[in-house]
Amino acid sequence: MEIFLQLIYSGVALGMIYGVIAFGYQLTFATSGTLNFGQGESLMLGALVGLSLVGNIHGGPYLNYWLMIPLVIVFGAFQGAFVEWIGVRPAIKIKSEFGWIMSTIALAIIFKNVAENIWGKDDLKFPSPLPESPIKLFGANVLPMEIVVVVGALAMMAAVEIFNRKSIYGKAVVATSNDRDAASLMGINTSAVITFSYALSSVTAAVAGVLVAPLTLTGATMGAVLGLKAFAVAIIGGLNSGLGIIVGGLILGIAETTTGFYISTGYKDVPGLVLLLLVLAVKPAGLFGKMAIKKV
Amino acid sequence: MLNIENLKASYGKVEVLHGISINVPKGKVVTLIGSNGAGKTTTMRAVSGMIKPVAGKITLGDRDITGLESHQIAKLGLAHSPEGRRVFPTLSVLDNIRLGAFVRYTNARPKGDVESDLQRALEMFPRLKERTTQLAGTLSGGEQQMLAMARAVMLNPEVVLLDEPSMGLAPILVEEVFNIIQRLKAQGVTMLLVEQFAAAALNVADYGYVLENGRISVHGPAEKLKSDPAVKAAYLGG
Repeated sequence: MEIFLQLIYSGVALGMIYGVIAFGYQLTFATSGTLNFGQGESLMLGALVGLSLVGNIHGGPYLNYWLMIPLVIVFGAFQGAFVEWIGVRPAIKIKSEFGWIMSTIALAIIFKNVAENIWGKDDLKFPSPLPESPIKLFGANVLPMEIVVVVGALAMMAAVEIFNRKSIYGKAVVATSNDRDAASLMGINTSAVITFSYALSSVTAAVAGVLVAPLTLTGATMGAVLGLKAFAVAIIGGLNSGLGIIVGGLILGIAETTTGFYISTGYKDVPGLVLLLLVLAVKPAGLFGKMAIKKV
Repeated sequence: MLNIENLKASYGKVEVLHGISINVPKGKVVTLIGSNGAGKTTTMRAVSGMIKPVAGKITLGDRDITGLESHQIAKLGLAHSPEGRRVFPTLSVLDNIRLGAFVRYTNARPKGDVESDLQRALEMFPRLKERTTQLAGTLSGGEQQMLAMARAVMLNPEVVLLDEPSMGLAPILVEEVFNIIQRLKAQGVTMLLVEQFAAAALNVADYGYVLENGRISVHGPAEKLKSDPAVKAAYLGG
């Protein structure tokens, strides 16, 4: 029982990371109908830039962990805006339905290559800002950093949600998601909104990167698998459902840690991906996905 | 106030407007009538920047707005209530109205007293006042039309484009829509109105243009158009 609870804890932490990356997919999909398939690479770059600031690999450490986060946020914003500007905007402009898929994947590969050249091909240890000895929670072990991951992920999603609901700029983002043409008629610069949504989605990924890095190892290849699994989460939960990605992330994360322990680590990805196939067959909009309410 | 000169527009290779000129003087209501497919909505879309004109010149006040983006044109004071209403379905009625004043909240246009304008808009559209927290997507067609018009007024616009405000509405609601247009006119709002209900449109308008296959066939004071035999036969049911 204790072990089971511990597996749940790790599954929850992992699931929240998937959830945050999936949240990033949702942000850009809502405003532009496009996704950044290099979302995992945005996470990886965020983690590695963070490592350069707090680790001793590039003559540092320069900053402590918590002061590094704002800089990673700025970096993520520029990185996301860059992806939108180079890879997505041209496709949107000519109304190409698929151009952005290949260009965001191409950028992802380029980012990975650049990272391999700057940070090397080996995985690096990311210094943990908190004690690395587990604490007891309801009788099972949990790492302090795992709690930070869960709290941080939920806080980021809540912050974006509050922004969307309360500020006029957030409402402009929602309006752009609803109807781009009508939003422009309100005087909303919808291209800027799309750039912003890309910046924001990379920010959430980059922060997720520095949150998860102390628990895992950091390296140029860390993003690809995370990005792909988060995509599965977005499909399972629904590309337009906030609750869906949290539940979807938790399902996938917990399925992974429990299967890994009770069956075999070789099969840890299978239950989640089987679920993905089931959802696609039975409820293609996702477990919590909804069709837009429309009445004429 | 709004001047359209020799406007040409096309979808792909098909030219829809073959050089039309329309003048909307300050404080006046001008209507553009014509049958389906004549190019009325295309004209509106070209004016508000939703499509790029192929040729011609559009000026708002003394500014050339030809070829500008929709959001830039909105900032200069042109409000467009589009065909099909296009309200934001997942936002509340109140948020929809607020977004009509987006350029004022963000100080891209003089802010003025947005909150009291908001109250005034709700007074003007009592149907919306009872439903401020409801999601716009759950409103009836008539209510959505009121919302689209309230949203347009909130811009504090120099000119309002109203595209088919009566489309798909029950007769009683059509009447309500035209009453509101009448009241906006009394407040001095400058409007360009596109309508299929030609008779009602000519009743509220000062001046009218008849669009036929992408060309203006007749134009003149509304009173005069109403008695024009050709217009009568084609658009006013004999």
